[in-house]
Amino acid sequence: MSVTDASAAGRAKAAPAIRFPLWAQHLLVFACFIAIWEAAVQFNWVSALILPSPFAVVGAWWDLAIVRGIIWSHFFVTLTEVLVGFAIGASFGVGIAVISAINPIFRRLVQPYMVALQVTPRIAIAPIIVAWLGFGMEPKIAIAAIICFFPMFINALTGLMQVDYENQEMFDSMRATKWQVFRHLQLPGAMPVIMAGFKTSISLALIGAIVGEFVSASEGIGVLIQRFSFQLLLPQAFASLIMLTFMGLVLYFMATFADRRIVYWQHEDLVARISKKARARHSDLLGKRSA
Amino acid sequence: MNALPQVQTPREGPAAGVASSEAIIASKAVGKIFGETVVALEDINATIRRGEFVSLIGPSGCGKSTFLRLVAGLTFPTSGTLDVLGQPMAGPRPEIGMMFQKPTLLAWKSVFENVMLPVTLAKKGRTSKADREKAIDLLHLVGLEGFEFSYPSQLSGGMQQRVALARLLNTGAEILLLDEPFGALDEFTRERLNVELLRIQREVKATILFVTHNIQEAVFLADKVFVMTPRPGRLAEVVDVDLPRPREIELMKDDTFNRRVFEIRDILGGTI
Repeated sequence: MSVTDASAAGRAKAAPAIRFPLWAQHLLVFACFIAIWEAAVQFNWVSALILPSPFAVVGAWWDLAIVRGIIWSHFFVTLTEVLVGFAIGASFGVGIAVISAINPIFRRLVQPYMVALQVTPRIAIAPIIVAWLGFGMEPKIAIAAIICFFPMFINALTGLMQVDYENQEMFDSMRATKWQVFRHLQLPGAMPVIMAGFKTSISLALIGAIVGEFVSASEGIGVLIQRFSFQLLLPQAFASLIMLTFMGLVLYFMATFADRRIVYWQHEDLVARISKKARARHSDLLGKRSA
Repeated sequence: MNALPQVQTPREGPAAGVASSEAIIASKAVGKIFGETVVALEDINATIRRGEFVSLIGPSGCGKSTFLRLVAGLTFPTSGTLDVLGQPMAGPRPEIGMMFQKPTLLAWKSVFENVMLPVTLAKKGRTSKADREKAIDLLHLVGLEGFEFSYPSQLSGGMQQRVALARLLNTGAEILLLDEPFGALDEFTRERLNVELLRIQREVKATILFVTHNIQEAVFLADKVFVMTPRPGRLAEVVDVDLPRPREIELMKDDTFNRRVFEIRDILGGTI
């Protein structure tokens, strides 16, 4: 080759001799992890009864998800509980935060209850909710909603209260109504903080739904994990757990997608694209001017 | 043809046909006390005429920003009377617009939407094609051709203030209050924007109150400089700037210009 020895040596010093692409690095780490796990079971470092081998877990998953396909109904029960619970909890959280932000008297009056709710471990309410609402999806939805409520409320209130003083004066000097200030300044300004609460809450909703299922239920991934664990069917329990990881990832990507959509102005790439589109959309305004 | 927009037709005012020497802002013994004891302004007597460019200068705490907010109707005097356009101030008015040291742009709106904001608010969102065209014209007037649909985060500090200026002009106000608008910008950007501000004022024929703590800037822009001193905030002297217009940056080499600058420095003395 035309590369001289000197330059090759120089490069070897500057960077490691072998460069893997990023995906290959991840694959390598994952393979090591699986290999150690498998070895631990194969060489009896850990009893297979306690820690099933990765292949046993994959086999159990294959059976539950593909051959018999029974895991999906449970998956969608839990997912529904999470999404509905989140929707309810988040709506109440943001709604009450909006009222609090607008009305200082209301804010003062509800504050003690919010603090009480904050300091109480909210999952402790799960058995009571089950006693009230029975064994269906309702109590899990309620628990998920209660758990998500608080971070959404706090974040929304914090966001709504942090209006910049000069921005407020600017709106005042334009004689904006209270509603216009809320609609054009306060709410959009609060959205980044609200969306941060969104990301926290959606994973909390999953915890809430699973706790509800642990307390009492006949359907859901939490039920499967509990049932398989009691029967010492640990490969199946792990396979169910992996479904929860998968659900968590789905929720995470949903939250990220929503964040990019709603607070687009905080993402450089999106801003560039949106401004280009707006320019094209308003070409009539620009075209006439430059003509 | 009509490359530059007629931003506003100067109103005929309450008494139609009054000459341009009519007092548009009249402050008589105005005082402002915050809380019980903090005297922000004391005994301010001043007259500003239609079309005048007045700079307010003084060290921090001299009450210049407070005076601007009184004229904006954002706060009220605790003594004396302040008449604007022949009426006592009773809150923000459509004839008065304000601009701040921070651009105060809405990050979620494009430059165009930010400039449209005063019209969007005034018309409750029902804006016309003419409104949109005027916003574009104003953006071109402040030198933002090509950035109409950018977002604030994509612009430099100087360009953001240009957007804020276009938005201010789009309020249609005839009295423009500028509170250290270029104070956070570098010297070169500030000088360029000063020259452009004068060009724009010729264009729109507005009355301008301009707060700054840069003496050269104050003299360069103004017909009159209100020199203020702190604790309590008082109007120490009104310095007339008898320099011809239009003004370019070379004016800063002029003897009269520099005499005015040193005159003001002497008045402020040790207070800066």
